[in-house]
Formats: sequence, C-alpha cells, structure tokens
Amino acid sequence: MDRRTFLKSAAGAGTLTAVGGLSTPAISQRVTARVLRFVPQADLANFDPIWGTQYVVRNAAAMVWDTLYGFDENLAPRRQMVEAEEVSTDGLTWTFRLRSGLKFHDGEPVLAKDAVASLNRWAARDTLGLMIKALQDELVAVDDRTFRWVLKKPFPKMLLALGKNSTPVCFIMPARIAATDPFRQIGEYIGSGPMRFVRDEWVPGGRAVFERFTDYIPRQEPSSWLAGGKQMQVDRIEWIIMPDAGTASAALQNGEIDWWENPITDVVPLLRKSRNVMVDIADPLGNIGVFRMNHLYPPFSDVRARRAILTAMSQEDYMRALVGDDTTLWKPLPGFFTPGTPLYTEEGGEILQGPRNLDAARKLLAQSGYAGQPVTCLIGQDQPITKPQGDITVDLLKRLGMNVDFAAIDWGTVGARRAVKTPPGQGGWQMFHTWFAGADCNATHFGIRANGDKAWFGWPDVPEVEAQVAAWFEAKTLDEEKAATRRLNKAALESVVYAPTGFFLQYQAWRKNVTGIVKGPLPFFWGVSKTV
Amino acid sequence: MTDLPVAIASPPIGFAAAPEPPDLLAPVKLRRGLAGFAWRHPAIAIGGALVLAMVFVAVFAPYLATLDPTAIAPARRTREPSAAFWFGTDMLGRDVYSRVLYGTRVSLTVGFAVAILASLAGLAIGLVAGTIRWADGIIMRVMDGLMSIPPILLAVALMALTRGSVGNVVVAITIAEIPRVSRLVRSVVLSLREQPYVDAAVVAGTRTPMIILRHILPNTLAPMSVQATYVFASAMIIEAILSFIGAGTPPNVPSWGNIMAEGRALWQVKPYIVFFPAFFLSLTVLAVNLLGDGLRDALDPRLAKRL
Amino acid sequence: MLTYVIRRVLATIPVMAVVALFVFSLLYIAPGDPAAVIAGDQATPADVERIRQSLGLDRPFLIRFGEWCWQILHGDLGTSIFTNLPVANLIAQRIEPTLSLMAVTLVFAVCIAVPMGVVAAWKVGTWIDRAIMAFAVLGFSVPVFVVGYLLAYIFALQLDWLPVQGYSPLSNGLWPWLKHLILPAVALGSVYIALIARITRAAMLEVLQQDYMRTARAKGMGQTDLLFVHALKNAAVPIVTVIGIGIALLIGGAVVTETVFAIPGVGRLTVDAILRRDYPVIQGIVLLFSFVYVLVNLVIDLLYTVLDPRIRY
Repeated sequence: MDRRTFLKSAAGAGTLTAVGGLSTPAISQRVTARVLRFVPQADLANFDPIWGTQYVVRNAAAMVWDTLYGFDENLAPRRQMVEAEEVSTDGLTWTFRLRSGLKFHDGEPVLAKDAVASLNRWAARDTLGLMIKALQDELVAVDDRTFRWVLKKPFPKMLLALGKNSTPVCFIMPARIAATDPFRQIGEYIGSGPMRFVRDEWVPGGRAVFERFTDYIPRQEPSSWLAGGKQMQVDRIEWIIMPDAGTASAALQNGEIDWWENPITDVVPLLRKSRNVMVDIADPLGNIGVFRMNHLYPPFSDVRARRAILTAMSQEDYMRALVGDDTTLWKPLPGFFTPGTPLYTEEGGEILQGPRNLDAARKLLAQSGYAGQPVTCLIGQDQPITKPQGDITVDLLKRLGMNVDFAAIDWGTVGARRAVKTPPGQGGWQMFHTWFAGADCNATHFGIRANGDKAWFGWPDVPEVEAQVAAWFEAKTLDEEKAATRRLNKAALESVVYAPTGFFLQYQAWRKNVTGIVKGPLPFFWGVSKTV
Repeated sequence: MTDLPVAIASPPIGFAAAPEPPDLLAPVKLRRGLAGFAWRHPAIAIGGALVLAMVFVAVFAPYLATLDPTAIAPARRTREPSAAFWFGTDMLGRDVYSRVLYGTRVSLTVGFAVAILASLAGLAIGLVAGTIRWADGIIMRVMDGLMSIPPILLAVALMALTRGSVGNVVVAITIAEIPRVSRLVRSVVLSLREQPYVDAAVVAGTRTPMIILRHILPNTLAPMSVQATYVFASAMIIEAILSFIGAGTPPNVPSWGNIMAEGRALWQVKPYIVFFPAFFLSLTVLAVNLLGDGLRDALDPRLAKRL
Repeated sequence: MLTYVIRRVLATIPVMAVVALFVFSLLYIAPGDPAAVIAGDQATPADVERIRQSLGLDRPFLIRFGEWCWQILHGDLGTSIFTNLPVANLIAQRIEPTLSLMAVTLVFAVCIAVPMGVVAAWKVGTWIDRAIMAFAVLGFSVPVFVVGYLLAYIFALQLDWLPVQGYSPLSNGLWPWLKHLILPAVALGSVYIALIARITRAAMLEVLQQDYMRTARAKGMGQTDLLFVHALKNAAVPIVTVIGIGIALLIGGAVVTETVFAIPGVGRLTVDAILRRDYPVIQGIVLLFSFVYVLVNLVIDLLYTVLDPRIRY
C-alpha cells in the first residue's frame, strides 16, 4: 500500500473510537449524589479480617460483615445480630438467639450454624476467643436461630469479647467460608452487613467498591458505633487508595473525594482554609505509638537493653515528628493505657518521665552485653504513622551507639516479616514500629500480653504481667480492675513488654456537603449522607 | 589598491563607482586563552562552569553546610526558610540547606560512578563485539534484550533484589546504561574497521590488540566522552526517580531524590522542601547536558547526526 | 518485502528470549524464600515444604525456566504473592489508564515537538532556534515529578482549570477522560518533546541542505509546503526512529506520573510491587512492557518502507 492510504485508514480508525466514547451525561449525574468516595489509611491488599490484624482490613470488613454484638460509644457491648441472650445462673451456659430475617449477600439466610462456624474460626486467632476456648465444653447450634456455648468455668466478659472492636473482630461469615483454616486467607467475601463488596471492581492498590445491600434489616435503635441500627444513606462507597498525601489533600479540596480518613497534620491548616472542607479529631480515644521489640534475640532479649531504650527515648521527639507542633494533639504516656479512660494509670512510669539520660542508657546497654551486632529495624515507609517513628528510632539507636540495620520496607512487608521467628540476620528482626488504637488498649489487648510463644509478635515472656492480666479478668468491681491495671502497668514497664512512644490524636477531613460523620475508633459509614 | 599597471584616477562621468570590495584579508581579532575558548564554545563554558561549581559544593559540603544534615530535631520541624535555616527545615527538623549540599555528593557520585563504569564496561563490550565477529551476534542480541526493558523498570527490578544503598543504585543504573554505550562503541568500531589505514595495519601484520589500542580506541574516545556526559545526566535523573518511588538510596542518606520524596507529602504547604533539591538537580542535569552538547559540537560536528 | 517482515519478526524472538531469561532470573536470585512468604505468618515448616514442592522450587533452573516460558505463552503470568490474584488480571485491570496516558502523551508530544524542531531548523542560528533548543534542554533536565507537581499546583489548585488527580475511563465520556489526562500528559511529555524536537531539528537541518530542496523552492513551492511536506517527509525516518525509542522513556516516566497524579495504572502497580518485593508482579510488568516496546519498534521498522520508498528489503 502507499503512504496516503495507510495514513488515511489510521486516521479513520482513530475517529471511530473517539466518537464511540461519548456517553450520556445525565446518567452520571444521577449517580454522584449517592456515591461516597473515601480515602482510607492504607491499601486494602487483602480482605480477611480474622487472618490479618491490620486496621484497614477491619474498617472495610465492618461494612461487609455484621457482628453478634457491637461496642457503642461508651465501649459497652450491645446486641447487634443477637435478639436475646441468656446466661444460666451458674454462668456456664450462654444461649444466644439471632434476629429474624438476617440474610447473607448471596441471598442465603443467616443460620446459627454459620455463627458457630464463625465463632470457631475467630476464637482460634483472638486472645479472648482463645481464653474462652480453653474453658469450652461445647459450642453448638440448637436450631436455625439459636446456639449455645457451654463453658467449664464462668467467663463474665463474654459479651465484651463478642462485641469488641479490637482486631480480630468477631465477624459472622457463612459456614462454608468460616470453615477455612484460620491461618489461611478466605477466598470469598460474603457477609451479612449493610454493604456488599463488589469484587469485580476491586483493584488492589487502587480502589475497593462497596454497594448497598438492599436486603439488610437494620435494628430499630439509633446507631452508636458498632451498635444500633446501621442505616446506610448512600448506595455506593468507593475506597480510593491514595498513597500520596499531597494528591489526597488536593483531591479533597477540589471535591474529587468526599472523606479522608487520616490527613497528615501538616496539611490540616491548608484544609481548614478551604471553604468546603471540615476537619476534626477522628477519635478522641486516640492512638498509642508502639516501639515493639523482639524478646527472643539479643540485644532486646535482655531487660537491661529494653530499659535502656526507655531511659533514652524522648516521647516528645516521637510525638512531634508524628503530629507536628500542635501540642493539643499529643500527650506523653508513662504507661500502656489510654488517657481519659477510667483505667488510665501512670504507675511505674517514672522511667519515661523527666529529662532523658543517654549516658545511663548507654551504661545499661553495655551491661546487657551488647557488642555491636546489627539491630534489624522493620520500618514501614508508606505508613504516615510508622515512618516518622522509624526515623526518630534510627537516630536514637545510633546515638546510643548501636549498629542499625534499617529495613525501609512497606507496611505490608512489615506485616509479613514480623511474624517470622528466625534469628536476625537470617530474615528475622529486632524491632518494628506500629500503633494501637486507644480504644483497644486495656488488659484484654494482645499488645500487653506476655505469654511467650503465644503472644503477639515480639513474644515477650513475663509471668508477672500474665498474672496481673489474669487478676484483671477475675476482678469483680471497677476498683479491683483499677488496682489490677496499676500493677499490670508497673510490671509491663519494668519488663518493657514494648516501649510506648506516646499518645496522639489524629484528624479526619471531609467535604461540607457530607453529614453524619462521627468520631470513633474506625470510620462508621452508616448514617453518612451526602447532598449534591 | 596596490599594483595596477595603469592608475585609474576616477571613474568616467556617468558611471557609478563600484562599491568597495570587502577587506577579505583583514586580520581576524583572535580572542585568546580561556576567555576566547569560552566565547567560541559557550555551551562547554557554561556547562563546565556549573558542573565545576557543583563538584566544589560536593567536595566542600562539610565546610559549606551550616548544620549536621542528619541531626533530627522534631521541635523545629517544617520551618520556613529563614536566616537560621537558609532553605528551611524538613518534617524531622533537619536543615534542608545542609541536606541539599550533602545530597550533591550522593547525586554527583552516582552520576560519575555510573558514567565511568558504564563507559568502561560498554567500551569493553563494544570493542569485543566490533572486533570478534562470532561474538558480535550473541552480544548484540543480549544488549538489544536489555535495551528493550525500559531503563527505569530495569533499575527498579534490580533494586528489588537487594536493599537500598548507593552502591546498589550505581550498579543497577550502570547495567541499564551499558547497552547504549556498547552499541555506540560497536558502531564506531565497525565503521573504523573499513578504513584503509586499518586494512593497511592488518596487512602489515599488526596484531588485533595493537590495532585496537592504536587505531580504534583513540577514535572511540570522542563519541564516548560525549555519550558519557549524557549517561551522567541520565543516571542522576534515574537515581532521583528511584529514590522518589522508594527504591533508591536508603532514607537516611540525603540525596536529592530522597529529600524530594520525603517532602512530597507536604509540597502544597511547604513546597520549599521539594523545590530546592529539584532546582539543584535540574541545574546540574542542565549543566551536564549543555556540556555534552558543547563537547559534541566541538569534538566532531559529524557526531551530531549519530548522537 | 514479505521476507523482510518475516525476518524482522523472527529477529525479535532472541531479544524477547533474553528479556524472558533476565526477568525469570529475578525470582530465582531474589533473596528470601518465596515459599515462606506465600505460606504466611503461622505456617509450620511442613506447610512451607509442601508449598515449595507445589511451586516446584526445588527443581533445576532450566526446567523451571522452560515451564515458566510455557506458562507465559499461555497467558499465565504468575500469581501475585500479596493479593493471591493472577498477575495477568492485575495488569488487565489497570492497563487502560496507562495506555490512555501514553497514547495522549505520544500524540501531544509529536504534535508539539515536530513543528518545534522544524521551525528551529528553518530559523537555524537565530534566537528562535536557540530558544527552542534551550527549552528542549530544559525539558530533559527537570525531572518528571517536579514538572508534574508544578503543573498541578498552577493549573489545578490555583487556577482550577483541570482536575488535580485521578482517571476517568473513556466509557464515561471523552471530555472527562481527556481532562484528567492533560496535566499528566504534559508532565510526562516534557522529556519526550525535548528529545523529538532535537532530533527533528537535526534531521531537518540535513534535509534542508539538500539540492532537491533548492529545486523545489525554485519551482515555486510555498514555504509551509516546503517545510512540512517536502522536507519533513524526507526527514521522517530518524524522527520516527526516535519516537519509537522514546517509548521506553514514556513507559518509565509513566511510573512516576501515575504516582504524582494518582492514576490507577500499571505504573502505580509497579511501585507498590517493588516496595513489597512482589516478584511475580514485577516480572509480569517488565515482561509485558518489554514486549510492547519490542512490538512498537518492530512496527516502526516496518513503517520505514511506507515512509521512505527507497528503503526496500
């Protein structure tokens, strides 16, 4: 062919595709008012809330799966899927009756056997669940809507365990999905929650889409965190992953997204100046920064090295690096429990208070026998909470004279590597950074437990801490709980289960035309509506 | 008007005088020395001067810097440029000015190292491919294969195998740049092989290594040095991009790419953290490109076609 | 002609083989144990061994390479370690934004750079020429993400003419699609424009000196016709060559541009995969893009015969 024909045919093909692309604007307009675009704290790389303990997975799961009970804004468990429960007088038999009309997203009704299977899977991975399982006599479905849990000893905190919002949350899945091994990920995402997960439109790293489940029957009470009626006011929720805070901030100002879960504090002044954006504290119960050490291998296998860290670290440095100059956003934290809650205590926290003493820290480190071996630090670079903490830590360790092996990896890989118990130098680790939601930090939390091999990553083994946790569980009054918590705090600080880097608050930001956003430990999508 | 046999006093009436012929033999005003060189080759002059300035900054960074570039001080984070902090502070309170100065070291080191290593390796490979015929096919297929992989992706893939460090970045970028240099050297060698004086040397019994050393090698130096400057510039940009996406030099090493990567979350409120290293990087790359262009024009105008 | 086409196509096979070998070796020499990573947090050593055998990680290199090539030819690019989804699916989900970005950038860059180069060659030596060439060198020197942020700041935030981020599929309308791609295309295209403009100028300079140009002018051809039709046609070969080679720049630059403008394309996928050391994804992307690049250059080689009738094979 000659050149002219060639070029003409190419041009022709081009115009055809262009014309074919025009669509009717009217349809798109009708949809936007019922679509909520949300920027989450991290990518939804996997979606199994029992297998993975990342908060972002839990937050998305709260839309797709429902729970038997749910914490309300006073951290008290209230009925959600359960219509009524009964405890025998000896406290050993718990009978639960599900509400009628509950359906899964595939149309199947929610049956008691689904609840039983889900409870089994959850209990295998959850601290409280494991405790209940240890006492279990039988867990069985009595009929389609009733199931019974018989224990050998009373467990008064049963409803708290079933309704808590700390990971893993006790989500109810269809029995066939819950039959998956708790140490493997599930392959289907079918739940009975108010939103369906639209798997076809899921782009890991880019977008996750949820659509309203029309057959969901909310409770008739007003909603309060995970309790009450979950009335959805929008038809479609799009989670748009934006790793670049600058882009997210610009998108929020331009109206291209509606709600940003955690804007970094530095851009908040800019957002406040924008006429169409509202900014407020996301969760008054805040977060606690965590410097988690590996108790299995040196240097942190020796308590003196761990206390050296506490002696030298400056919580102010960590907190300023995290949230900037606004002092209302952070507090020093001489312990492991959330300021503002009844169980807050500072007992034993003197080591974290007062001027920092690097010389004493270096002496302690030398006493522990540290001889210059590399200290592997797993620092998630793409997480706005772990990266600044990591930078401060590397600087701190260097000033203490330690040989730092800085593993600057992504948050997902931190999750994979921290589970590995091999020695450092063979793929293991000696410290990593993370954070715990303030709402989670009490004696039931996995972070404070020190039962060796079964403990959370870091595997601390401190009998005294475990004894105080047990004491808390046996406490019958608030005063007893407080006493147990005080002793727990002291023991945990003396043995340094982990090093708290401070207490801090975070913001959330949304467009003015979005209403119904409440403060809480996770973003609650029910009750949120959007005007055009 | 010199030695005409008949003196023509003035033109006859009615004829216009012919215009004065231009003074073809008037002496050209020679500008000598460095100033003259700069006048004739402005690209080399400007580019070279800027590169030298950057080298100076890199070498004397400890003396030019006002503060320790790695000193963290969260109490004074994200301060605007001021008398105390000429370029402001970043989100950990480090002085951006000092970090940018030290960043010059990393970026220039990466640039130089890659340029030199890629040139040496490319030279060796190109020479072998050009002179040893049976090796030519295989080598060029391998080089073509490597060249098919976009350089950033190649560097990214190589960095995925190891942890971030300046050395690994240099190796990764070098591997990405070698194919182009080797192609160039090979094409020069191939064209030189046809030259009569090379034929004559072969006939005279000169052995191949000697031919390479005396005839071929000197002729490759000109195009290679021009290509080396382009490799230098490209290496600096690739390093910046690698650091920007988190696959380059480790975060505790101040390189321009790193400083920009860390500052990018704040670019709307504190644009200076991104702006200053960006300016330095652009200026240096510009200077190196100018140098390369000037060298190319000065050394051999025919190179303009090939490069 | 046909034999030339066949020969050229066959010549790409060894090139792709080299790429495939390199890409496969990535997983082979990568540190860490892929079986352990896939097995997950709480797996026992027996589980890991089971997975290792099912993945065939204990067999010799060549056999594994052969099997992997066989899989590739059937369209199976492996499975992502982190999301357990097939790599081919992950890429397919995100290929449209990246292709759109590259296409728009290509068209935009060629439409701007070629006339720039032509004008520079026409007015060689004047300030216009110097200005254009200075502009081109600037395009080379300022990194893509800096240009991107500057453009976003000025046009999206300050002037609010264009969106600051995101991608709108073509099925949602032509103008939204284009609107979201303008700023990224300009940022990505800056280097490409510089490259094409320079080569266009160089090629045009050579052509303009030829005798046939003078003949055409003497025959009374107009200036525009002379430059853009007569001269450009003859200069087309090196220009088209560099357009093809520059696609590699586009692919690399797309990675950064997609990060800056939050375009959910394959470039972003690459960045996420590298941070997580998700080797199957990295492998799949490198393989795919290299293949595209080889294909594009093959097409360009074949285009030569159309552009320049003197080139006959």
